[in-house]
Amino acid sequence: MKLNVKINGKKFDLEVNPNAMLIDVLRDAGFKSVKNGCSEGSCGACAVMIDGRPKNSCIILAGQVQNSEILTAEGLGNPETPHILQRSFVDHGSTQCGYCNPGSLISVKALLDKNPKPTEADVKDALDGNLCRCTGYVKRIEAVLDAAKIIQKGTKGKK
Amino acid sequence: MLKKLTQFYYPKTVEDACSQLANAKEKTSVIAGGTSEALRNDSTIEALVDLSKIKELSFIKSDSSSISIGAATPVQDIYKSDLSGVSGELLKTAAGKIGSTLLRNAITAGGNLVALFPWSDLPAAYMVLDAEVVCRKGKPKRTVPVINLINSKPASFLTKGEIVAEIKVPVFKKGTGASFAKMSKTSNDYSLITVASRITIAGGKIEEARLAVNAITAQPVRCEEAEKLLVGKKPDAELLAEAAKKAVAGLKVRKDYRATEEYRKEVCEVMIRRSLEESIAKAGK
Repeated sequence: MKLNVKINGKKFDLEVNPNAMLIDVLRDAGFKSVKNGCSEGSCGACAVMIDGRPKNSCIILAGQVQNSEILTAEGLGNPETPHILQRSFVDHGSTQCGYCNPGSLISVKALLDKNPKPTEADVKDALDGNLCRCTGYVKRIEAVLDAAKIIQKGTKGKK
Repeated sequence: MLKKLTQFYYPKTVEDACSQLANAKEKTSVIAGGTSEALRNDSTIEALVDLSKIKELSFIKSDSSSISIGAATPVQDIYKSDLSGVSGELLKTAAGKIGSTLLRNAITAGGNLVALFPWSDLPAAYMVLDAEVVCRKGKPKRTVPVINLINSKPASFLTKGEIVAEIKVPVFKKGTGASFAKMSKTSNDYSLITVASRITIAGGKIEEARLAVNAITAQPVRCEEAEKLLVGKKPDAELLAEAAKKAVAGLKVRKDYRATEEYRKEVCEVMIRRSLEESIAKAGK
């Protein structure tokens, strides 16, 4: 079937199998930040934003995102011009193996879009579906709270 | 995997969706949040009608007598809503205990009910709140108690071309309290035990009692024997302990490799007792 989607602001007209999962379609289209961890919606490594909502792309059929807008970590920034959240994850050491980072970043981007001044509880709540086995769940919370402050101050950088 | 799936339909209205389903020539099913459908192994389904983009199915409304929730409303919206009162707070608590943010953004108020998995969290809450379900077949609709839908299994209760469109929950009078609790290995794991209760107290005695469990059983059930025991009596520790014992004794426990039947029964009894205590404490406020 034909799938019309906007990925990171760019229009795509993809030919996909009707029973394909979104994660596979995205990875095949070159968006390798989308990681497959558990394939059953438990770990959050595959999280992408679909029409403003972060969801697990491993348990959504690609056919369900017809005419939707998708944001993956590639759409946030790149090594030369990282998003403030990406920069903050690095600065706070909330990345080690990095496998969970793209999904976690999407979850917290969605949080800050809705709630620019989150509390620690808000951040924990937003990340409740993103497992991270390396860094221990503290550094990423500090990273998000810090990034939120930087964005609030309007420090130079990509929003 | 849905091996034979070839077609997706994207209706814009409930009427379109119902007529699509009613006139389907190929084996057609509905999909909304998609979390269970995506993991389903079925080699007969050829087409899916996607309800997730129908705007009239996604809403949360409340007035002085009831709360209405569209069937395709993501449960995250319930969790983050400003619903209040006994019914509103209970729905928010139950919705917030479902999976994770990423899952709650997909799972819907109606899907969690219609799919009716043992681990679904909302059905027990709907049951103790005496929820009603609005089923639509195009324009025609029927409003039925949620317990009827659950007891006769949604798949056989709904006729061809009929969908669950809305869940309605009454607002309760003063002197009512409700509680929802869930036990699972981790907060994201499937429920091992789900307990919901609602108690109305008048003149120092229990006037109305509702108690429902899920996950420990194969489908959500009301513990009617225990409810009967409670009604008309003064709520004291002895009575609640007796009601909890009675409720658990009447359960047909589902097999689950995560924990033994004995363990889950013991925990369930404690959870029920505490749930009743909490409901009663809230009713007194």
